[in-house]
Amino acid sequence: MFANRKTENIEKEVMDALQSARRQQPYLNAVVSFLDVEDAIEAAKSSSGKLAGLPIVLKDNVLTKGIRTTGSVAILDNYIGAYDATITTKLKEAGVVIIAKSALDGLGMGGTGTNSHTGLVHNPYDLNRMAGGSSSGSAALVASGAVSFAIGSDTGDSVRKPASFVGIVGVKPTYGRISRYGIIPYASSLDHVGYFTRSVEDAALALEVLAGRDDKDMTSSFREVESYLSNLNGDLSGKTIGILGNVIDSIKNKETLEIFDHLIEKCVTAGAKVKVITMDHKLLQTCLPVYYIIANSEATANHSNLDGVRFGMQEWGDSLEELMTNSRTKGFNFLLQKRFVIGSYSLADENQDLLLRKAQKVRRLLVEEFKNTLAEVDVLVAPASSDVAPLLTDKSADQLSARYLIAENYMVLGNFSGYPSMTIPMGKINGLPIGINITAKPFEEQVMFDVALGMEHLTGCKNMVAEVIV
Amino acid sequence: MERISKNIVLSLAKGLMLRLSDEEAENIVAEFDTLLKQLDLLDQIDTTDVQEMIYPFEEPTDFFREDIVDHVLPIEDVLYNAPLEEEGYFVIPKVVKD
Repeated sequence: MFANRKTENIEKEVMDALQSARRQQPYLNAVVSFLDVEDAIEAAKSSSGKLAGLPIVLKDNVLTKGIRTTGSVAILDNYIGAYDATITTKLKEAGVVIIAKSALDGLGMGGTGTNSHTGLVHNPYDLNRMAGGSSSGSAALVASGAVSFAIGSDTGDSVRKPASFVGIVGVKPTYGRISRYGIIPYASSLDHVGYFTRSVEDAALALEVLAGRDDKDMTSSFREVESYLSNLNGDLSGKTIGILGNVIDSIKNKETLEIFDHLIEKCVTAGAKVKVITMDHKLLQTCLPVYYIIANSEATANHSNLDGVRFGMQEWGDSLEELMTNSRTKGFNFLLQKRFVIGSYSLADENQDLLLRKAQKVRRLLVEEFKNTLAEVDVLVAPASSDVAPLLTDKSADQLSARYLIAENYMVLGNFSGYPSMTIPMGKINGLPIGINITAKPFEEQVMFDVALGMEHLTGCKNMVAEVIV
Repeated sequence: MERISKNIVLSLAKGLMLRLSDEEAENIVAEFDTLLKQLDLLDQIDTTDVQEMIYPFEEPTDFFREDIVDHVLPIEDVLYNAPLEEEGYFVIPKVVKD
């Protein structure tokens, strides 16, 4: 835990973290680049920031001036950050020491940790299982104990799903709460900066450091940043917790439901009121196709500048068109190419009404329904995944089943709506962790953290570490 | 919606400046088949008179700043990543052939 910490020896703490990440690298494959830390250690020694001397990891889609930032794709494999992201600056001002840049599903597009340019990322609880994605490396390094804080990003559930699979806290705050300036984009209307910690208190402190208005990101909010840590109150009495009934109905795994039900019973004993709320089932089933159309369309447009001309990997050709085609064909893996084709199809003039605009209209209906659902309660909760982390070889998901369409993809509602949403661990099944997702109303991160803290007290799932034995 | 043909996939890829093999194009056609079934779910939703939602919130977060030069990256920082650069310009294949 780093909230309220007193650091005795910054150098030792940082070098221990670096050594731990390096030792685990052959097993987790979570790191793209290890950083030189000497200068940052010296700077941290004289820092009075809230996180002075804390070793941390950044997802490799966060720009760092003078340091390689690849987005885990071949086309950016040699890209050196030309400037710092706003959060990089904020974190440095808070005194952190960045020890590594972590692997992601290329450009944030994927949810498994199997689509990184540097290979598969492994789950520290079981190396044969997925860490989840797209913030795979950051999640794995917090779960393995290498660091206690790592940055991720969340466009669909890319922080909250891996947090469930590796037993840690994963936060996606309100859209606009954290600046996205200097983050390699995926889908601008859905992208959020998120992060991982191993306790709710740490998560509250981390948001104080990261949040705030940034004129370089015109979607960032002017709203004041609260003192989330000092205001934290885990008392659940009087809180109204809504359970998203559709998700529960679509989960077939008994153990997941038992752990969830047990926690909810404890919440009631602790004084919370509980309501099961059901959204329009037909509407909720559209989450995935709506996400697919919007996210892929925006990604196709955002990544058209990756052409091998001005930066990144270049494959020469006899004409400009051939140079770009050579560079993009070699620079993007097949999964990304496939998503760009789907995005391009939705953007074609003849399909825009039928696909993109239709998806954007259904997005509004989903958000209105979600807003009404939350109006009656303080937070809305459901298991963050239907089961524990899948095996790396598992490709069996029936993509038309209710389990897949709802239980595995409902968290994208947090991105459609921009509402704050987080995952905390709620227990283990056969030694593998599984999380609960908590969503609150816009800019009510404090309420979300309060309920999360109350639940953390009840589960005892705090500071869980699965250090890889090597 | 109608099944997407391999030719459409190849044509979209060309527009994206991507070169796909026949096998890859067929794989994408198969992916579209699943996607189109999911899109049927979308068609079942009545969106008459519904406005598109582009961004999550309507609370204004933008403003007109003063017309003063601000936040300029040094040219050497920008060109540092250029695969080929000459006298401050990016180099590309000759456009007007001899």
